[in-house]
Amino acid sequence: MRFTIFQESRRGSRKVNQDRIAYTYGRDTLLLVICDGMGGHAGGEIAAQICARLFIERFQQEAKPVLRNPLKFLQDTMQRAHAALGSYANQFSMLETPRTTCVAVVVQAGHAYWAHVGDSRFYLFRQGGLIAQTKDHSKVQYLVDQGLIGAHEVVTHPDRNKIFSCLGGLVEPIVDLSKRTPLRNGDVMVLCTDGLWSVMPQNEMATWLTSTPILKTAPQMMREAEKRGGPEGDNLSTIVVRWGADLATEQASTATVTESLGLGEFETAIEKTVTLTDRAGANRDLTDDEIERAIQEIQSTIQKYRR
Amino acid sequence: MAVTNQSLPANYQLLNYRIDRQISRGGFSIVYRAYDETGAPVAIKEYLPSSLVLRTEGDIVRASSAENLTSFRYGMKCFFEEGRALAKINHPNVVRVLNFFRANETVYMVMRYERGRTLQQQIQMRQDQMSERFVRHVFMHLLNGLREVHTHKLLHLDIKPANIYLRTDGTPVLLDFGAARQTLTNTRAKLAPMYTPGFAAPEQYRDPDRLGPWTDVYGAGASMFACLAAFAPQAADARVQEDHLVSAKKIWAGQYSDNILEVIDWCLRLDPLERPQSVFALQKAIRDIPTKKRKLSFLGNVKKLLFTEIGA
Repeated sequence: MRFTIFQESRRGSRKVNQDRIAYTYGRDTLLLVICDGMGGHAGGEIAAQICARLFIERFQQEAKPVLRNPLKFLQDTMQRAHAALGSYANQFSMLETPRTTCVAVVVQAGHAYWAHVGDSRFYLFRQGGLIAQTKDHSKVQYLVDQGLIGAHEVVTHPDRNKIFSCLGGLVEPIVDLSKRTPLRNGDVMVLCTDGLWSVMPQNEMATWLTSTPILKTAPQMMREAEKRGGPEGDNLSTIVVRWGADLATEQASTATVTESLGLGEFETAIEKTVTLTDRAGANRDLTDDEIERAIQEIQSTIQKYRR
Repeated sequence: MAVTNQSLPANYQLLNYRIDRQISRGGFSIVYRAYDETGAPVAIKEYLPSSLVLRTEGDIVRASSAENLTSFRYGMKCFFEEGRALAKINHPNVVRVLNFFRANETVYMVMRYERGRTLQQQIQMRQDQMSERFVRHVFMHLLNGLREVHTHKLLHLDIKPANIYLRTDGTPVLLDFGAARQTLTNTRAKLAPMYTPGFAAPEQYRDPDRLGPWTDVYGAGASMFACLAAFAPQAADARVQEDHLVSAKKIWAGQYSDNILEVIDWCLRLDPLERPQSVFALQKAIRDIPTKKRKLSFLGNVKKLLFTEIGA
């Protein structure tokens, strides 16, 4: 695989950054994920962190060396992240489960697969035009679909922050899955949180990202977006990937070539600003499931060796 | 922080066990004596790392901060390792695990209750020199247990007098597998190493890839040394810098058999390859007991003499 990747998360004018972005890739498979944590206190940040990390970890466990079923992987991992947030809240007797949106993309064998919950988005641009995008699980999107408001009102509507599906919520999340979508060289994939898309219309985004080297223009776009956010600006995050052995626009040295990775090897980048659950470094959290399994295993061993 | 965790109160009902009293408390756990529904005593170990969790009242264990929850859960893995290790072993000289369960937001391990005291207490209490016969008796049995542990591809990694329990009938039981590792499945990230200065082998400090049966052999040798000396040998990390350990053979020449002193010195070699490579090799070396043989034959001679006298 050959691609160019850019990722950045900016705090905007908020005190904390509750967005988490991460990617990891092996020789023949790539995962991108963005989460936008919600709610008061540190809850949102924890939720986004748990979710992003779970995606990376599960991906590295399951991609041996590639995922057997990328869409199933996306669906399952969303469900597990939802469950993990619930048990985390239980652990701490939190009144409210920490919540997060999530959009994740897998690229494998020249095809892209994506899934999302909430209002973090995925765009696929080809030759300057938008050929696919996710549809927010938000109240304003619903109003647009019903023809009650116009698409241009989405970013200004008073209820623009209300979403009806998220991970960690009271109800089971609605997970939208994409089709298996073939990629062409030069395609640009963009994952972003509402902090970016609410101030950067997709036609402008296309202009920024599809005609010039992304490593140069994507940071400029983020700076511009942060400026537009102003004193009320939300956290804004993006991962941009230009697919394929590139044309003259991307310098050869900036592209990532995965052929040098051994089978089963991964390269990973997790953007993290403040981490609340990461104290133990690489030590993975023990989930409730794992605890139950460990206890059962020990009990059955005791039975087995009982005389 | 001077806040300490409350232990469970007497008569607290924990599943089908009734807590009697706290027996001991360490940095990671509290051990209680309790009674099961038939009234039989058991020892229950409660996972309660004092630096991470807080229980100022009641029974529920809570991580003292969000950050500590991860570490708490991580430490639980070590507790599971111990349970896993012990569950497989059914041997008279190894502590027996009877049950393992989750409650109060933490985990518990139920073990057979043994009456007696630790070898550590025995060393501290003794009035005069520990007899060679006693040391041999304790370690021959203990090594049987340790051999069983190694047969299950496990290393104890914390052999020391405080972890050797002496039943009232004098037979030893190997306790506390908190440091035990599954040697063959050690592909996951290594758990934080745990060792006791004086009893831990040098490779436990610097070279975890070289851990093996010889590592427990070092701990056994150091424990035997402590039985004779009433103190631990110089810590292995310091020995690697500058070795001040005087050989057992020099210190106790004439007081104990050359055989046992040579065995102790052999176990305490810094180079893992120069020690007995297995518990069996160590047991074999201890069994070769020239002094005892001499004594026996001397006694035998007396007996023979007596019998011939009487018979005559």
